[in-house]
Amino acid sequence: MMKAFQWWWGLLLAFSLLALSRVFLPLPFVIEVVIFSIYTMGCSFLLGRVGFISFGQPAYLAVGAYATASYLFYFGTNPYIGILLGVLAGLTISFIVGPLFVRLRSDYFAMVNLALAVIVFYLTQKVLAGITHGDNGLWFLTTIASTPVLDLSRPSDFFIFAFMVALAVWAFYKYLDDSVYGACCLATKINEDKFKFLGYSNFNIRLLAFVIANTTTALAGAMYAVYLGFVSPEISSPSRAADPVIVTILGGAGTLYGPIFGAFAYTGMKDVISKLIGNWELLIGFFLVLIMLAGEKGIWGTLQPWLEKRLFRKAPALKTTDTSTDGRGARR
Amino acid sequence: MDAQLLISGVIFGLSIGSIFFLMAIGLSLCFGLMRIISLDQMLYYSIGAYVTYSLSLVTGSVWLGILGGLVASGIAAFAVERLVFRRIYERELTFSMITSFGILICGIGVIKFFWGVVPRPVPMPIEVQIGILGTDVPAYRFIVVGVAILVYLGLWLFLNRTIAGKAIRAGIEDVEHVEGLGINVSRLFTITFIIAGSLSGLAGGLHAPLIMVDPMMGLEVLAFVFMVVIIGGLGSIKGTLISAFIVGQVVSVGSLIYAPLAQMAPFAVMLLILLIKPTGLYGSALLKR
Repeated sequence: MMKAFQWWWGLLLAFSLLALSRVFLPLPFVIEVVIFSIYTMGCSFLLGRVGFISFGQPAYLAVGAYATASYLFYFGTNPYIGILLGVLAGLTISFIVGPLFVRLRSDYFAMVNLALAVIVFYLTQKVLAGITHGDNGLWFLTTIASTPVLDLSRPSDFFIFAFMVALAVWAFYKYLDDSVYGACCLATKINEDKFKFLGYSNFNIRLLAFVIANTTTALAGAMYAVYLGFVSPEISSPSRAADPVIVTILGGAGTLYGPIFGAFAYTGMKDVISKLIGNWELLIGFFLVLIMLAGEKGIWGTLQPWLEKRLFRKAPALKTTDTSTDGRGARR
Repeated sequence: MDAQLLISGVIFGLSIGSIFFLMAIGLSLCFGLMRIISLDQMLYYSIGAYVTYSLSLVTGSVWLGILGGLVASGIAAFAVERLVFRRIYERELTFSMITSFGILICGIGVIKFFWGVVPRPVPMPIEVQIGILGTDVPAYRFIVVGVAILVYLGLWLFLNRTIAGKAIRAGIEDVEHVEGLGINVSRLFTITFIIAGSLSGLAGGLHAPLIMVDPMMGLEVLAFVFMVVIIGGLGSIKGTLISAFIVGQVVSVGSLIYAPLAQMAPFAVMLLILLIKPTGLYGSALLKR
């Protein structure tokens, strides 16, 4: 009983804080944070657990968003089916490109992913302009039907929905982390050769991780579409390609609470800075360089050992990330 | 297809390929020697283009502007290398990618601050048209191709005939041994980074008269330069040259057949080549991740 409680206390604490913040923070801000944290969870998992950096997350975000948007714009009115279709589209696309991408070395992987994001941007902006209406985007806020229990066309109900989805996604990643599969992911990150000798397939583990992470991203895209009621190519713009990576690093890569903390800090920072000056790219870029130079642990990564010491009176958990084992750690 | 259209399309592909080559060489060299992915090459490209614009407006000579762009981006590269990259060489590859993306975004902010967001035109330096098989082609495009070939030859001579160049080539194979021979590796890194940065600036300056100069121009070519580097293989200069011309032709001739192909076809070519050879055309399989 006590063990189960320890397992869940963080979840309860983090999410009750988030629910509490709804009382004294504006609703759009909290919804943005919740969706952004779902968006980042996939990227955080890929970067922190499997060791793949992905600058192509906007591509999968856009796939999810556009699948939902085109359903709501052309065919139906039920937002739940729209979100389901968005997730399915994300699942399909990651199963198509996944086998091609995960075979690559991590440097090639990062580049190919970014190239994919740019391609999706052009695809939605120019090539498929007949369906996606190009830069004008798809507007369907009025066609979203009100559903019986949780009415997604109302922001306050949407918040509860987004909150529950985030909780479910978070619990899922928590479960993954503690499972054998989570350990396998970490093992392929740290030493793929040794892992292969143990009789596992690096390819399968990575493919599954890729699909899981990008389906999560597509889910976030679908939720953006329903929440905003419109989708434009801007969603996969290359200049926003680093957003999830920044948030991941800000919160601490591979940590469970990282995405929530990172999304909170990043959205807040962006809101405040863009109110003060229009040129927020300059500061975001500057902060990013600063964070990278300062270290790689991020907000939660710095807080975690300290909190653990305070709350449980025990030594901090063993460091799971090892930067010197990627085959070139011995250089220089 | 119309033969005249095809000829001008091929020439256009050659010139755009030359520009991709000049930019991709920086990425490729930086990866080969320092094991960093330097996305900020796109920033030096934008700086080169903007300095070309400003100098050609002030002095009236575009050639002087291009020269100024080359020097300015070299100085910017030097500053960035000294301030930022020096501290992250021994970190993981992903680290350099995120950091350089931060520099790129930050630099775009600086450019927006100085020059605004309105696209700026740069005049053509020479208006002469050259007739080939009855088709008139702007002479400037030939000059761009010539410059790229000169740069390739110069780089070849530098890498094969000078001590510094030989040290760079040896460093691509094994940095530790080069250091053991008593060569100042840290200075070697700086030299390579400046060469990479100024070549990107040269590409920006040469590209400026052919397009409009705007703050996001670096991000627009980013995908193409990536594809060039990936197809050619990271760290290989010969591969980069060949793949730059392949991508240039695919973009240019592809857009003649069906306009949206210009953006899509290089991606298809890249996937195809990666399917056959996951390290690109000339990429060495020995280089571990």
